[in-house]
Amino acid sequence: MAGAALLAACGGGGSSAPDASQPAASALSAQAVLGEKIFFDASLSASGKQACASCHSPTNAHAPANDLSVQLGGSLLDQQGRRQAPSINYLSFDTAFFFAADGTPTGGFFWDGRAASLLEQAGEPFMNPFEMANAGVADVIAKLANASYAAEFKAVFGADIFTRPDDAMLRVKLALSQYQKEDTGFRAFSSKYDEFLRGKVQLADQEMRGLALFNNPTKGNCIGCHPSGKAADGSFPLFTDFTYDNLGVPRNPLIARNDDPAYNDLGLCERADLADRADLCGAFKVPSLRNVAQRHVFFHNGRFNTLKDAVTFYVQRDTNPEKWYPLNADGSVKKFDDLPPRYHANVNTVEVPYNRHPGDVPALSDAEVDDVIVFLKTLSDGYRP
Amino acid sequence: MSSTRPRALPARALLAASLALSASTAFAQSATETALAQRLDQLAAELAAVKAQLVQLQQAQAAAPAPAAPVAQAAPGSFGTTPPAPGSAPAYSASLLGPGTVLTSYGEINYNRPTRQTQNTQVDVRRFVLGYQHRFDEKTKVVTELEVEHAVSSAADPGEVEVEQAYIERQLTPVWSLRAGLFLMPVGLLNENHEPTAFYGVERNFVETAIIPSTWREGGAQLVGNFDNGLTVQGGITTGFDLNKWDATSTEGKESPLFSIHQELALAKGHDLAAFGAVNWRGIPGLLVGGSLFTGQATQAQAVDKARITLWDIHARWTPGKWDFSTVYTRGTISNTAALNAALVGNPTLIPKSFDGFYLQGAYKVWSFDDYALSPFARWEQFNTAKSYADLGMGLTPEAARAERVVTMGANLQVSQGVVLKADYQRFRENADLNRVNLGLGWSF
Repeated sequence: MAGAALLAACGGGGSSAPDASQPAASALSAQAVLGEKIFFDASLSASGKQACASCHSPTNAHAPANDLSVQLGGSLLDQQGRRQAPSINYLSFDTAFFFAADGTPTGGFFWDGRAASLLEQAGEPFMNPFEMANAGVADVIAKLANASYAAEFKAVFGADIFTRPDDAMLRVKLALSQYQKEDTGFRAFSSKYDEFLRGKVQLADQEMRGLALFNNPTKGNCIGCHPSGKAADGSFPLFTDFTYDNLGVPRNPLIARNDDPAYNDLGLCERADLADRADLCGAFKVPSLRNVAQRHVFFHNGRFNTLKDAVTFYVQRDTNPEKWYPLNADGSVKKFDDLPPRYHANVNTVEVPYNRHPGDVPALSDAEVDDVIVFLKTLSDGYRP
Repeated sequence: MSSTRPRALPARALLAASLALSASTAFAQSATETALAQRLDQLAAELAAVKAQLVQLQQAQAAAPAPAAPVAQAAPGSFGTTPPAPGSAPAYSASLLGPGTVLTSYGEINYNRPTRQTQNTQVDVRRFVLGYQHRFDEKTKVVTELEVEHAVSSAADPGEVEVEQAYIERQLTPVWSLRAGLFLMPVGLLNENHEPTAFYGVERNFVETAIIPSTWREGGAQLVGNFDNGLTVQGGITTGFDLNKWDATSTEGKESPLFSIHQELALAKGHDLAAFGAVNWRGIPGLLVGGSLFTGQATQAQAVDKARITLWDIHARWTPGKWDFSTVYTRGTISNTAALNAALVGNPTLIPKSFDGFYLQGAYKVWSFDDYALSPFARWEQFNTAKSYADLGMGLTPEAARAERVVTMGANLQVSQGVVLKADYQRFRENADLNRVNLGLGWSF
């Protein structure tokens, strides 16, 4: 990787799970049991109808079960969230945000990595006005004190815990993070591809072709950000290196905020601690591709609704930009229309498959895109031969 | 095998005299002379130890009425002798280091100038090595080498610090000895004799770096038999390679398949041990003929599929008069690569099924005066790090690599028994961008 633009591209960072091949399936700790109850408790939201599980459905790899670009929240469940609610599976292998030795931003939770841990991440949705929309910590804890499992909470964390809202909130976050760390449903490693790595099944011909295209640095080059191989210690791939990239994803007209031409979601550089890093504007975290076939929307702004569109966008963004971006009045393509022009240079146009120009042959043909998609479907947990 | 190389300081005079007397002997690294030097080293070390003991005895007698003073250096032969603390005395003389303890060292400073890509010209302290041998008694010694590559080793620098050898050797009988620890593998001509004064050309040959991963060492135990008829037999059990380290996304495996997965006894995975054997025969003066075989599983119980790595070689060196000829053929195989590669398809560097290399080299000492000796040489080598791949099906099986052929022409100028200047030109047939001029300064004692 060369050039400042690629500081936001992939490389570096952990990308495999140390205990992947045999996730421990022991009983949940008392904290994790409480975390599970909190995770499914809609009463902890201002609307009384939204729990963590509402946007992170366990039946859909802990991602939304609907096809909304962004989820609705707030006290009346009528407020659009800013970004797509991602799957939270396999996040227990993520780390706090850091810059790798070569400058690559890596790690962190949320699309911009602003939370340093699962615990820290777990607290934000409770207060987010577009999500659970509580007025504050005391508001959350007051609702928790009325929950059916309040006595269990006190049994684990102290009889007077609800009299100390800040302490109680910390324990809510602890319980949620423990649940995500301990429940193997968040890291099942039970896909067909996992079974393939275990030598128990063979991939079909088209799946193998898709894997080869996925790995090939001159074709899909997906492996550049989504490692697919086992690590030297035998751990299984997570299909993300937890880095960030700027893909120039088209603006999504289904997000109401985008009606305002002055509004932009700039990703990493919106963070206060990275406000002076204009080179990172437009970069978002690389998600895991595990269970990607179960996803209903793709990219940080949920711009695409099918895997076919998402994969095709990668390979045709630069060869056929008119298919993905609106046209200017003069007929030219308004490429990278979700970023102010001063940040267009940040978009990754160097690595395969983005290193093309209009009229070039895309890195993958339509049939090859289909092969890759067939392979991606082998990454869904819960495989049964 | 350090016993075949670093010249112990006290042995230098003896060795020089011996070589001067051997006017008809070819270049100083011939197999026979190396063996001779080996014996001289051993004898010199033992002589130094005996002298030191004598001095101690004389001092003890002179001071007989006084209580026994603590002896800084325990007499050789006592196990558990503590070597002198580093820096406690100048490390220039074996006698100052202590009886039976010798300092060894070698180094290389190289200049490489690619003729087509001069912007890639480099000058490098390729390696700087310090070692010691300490003889606990007449039958037991420890041999160590600590190496720094590329001058500076830190998180921000390219260098490495490595323990290259660290083993104990115990002479069991006049013929057999037992070696245990971290030792160099007895493969090819160069691996155990890799000091810059021991090979022609600024850089080590490709066959014995790309195919035989010199400097290749493993941890384990081996028996070494030196027979009077010139036969040396070695065999043992060691650690092996780790195929889990194979990085299909990088080019390391293409540059040297085994180098990319060697373990160097750095938290080495030890589930799969390997066996090796080597035979070398020096029964005719000036001639060395030998071969080796290494084989062992290499997935270390961390992959579903097992895979065996086997490497063998045959080699010969003949030093008639002022001539010096040598040749090596080596071939490696990795089993079950179809299964191992299945999850790696599409990556640029899959695991090869086989790889091999061969070279022929000739040198002639055209001029000598005092310690000076000028020996032009030429070497032709062919090597292929991915000679074949297991079948993965149409469209998925990588094409075998084309063999690279390299011609190296140059000269070694020995300016002292342990100092050499080198210059050569290397021409690559497949990748002419690598053509280069090399200059080198090396030393070894």
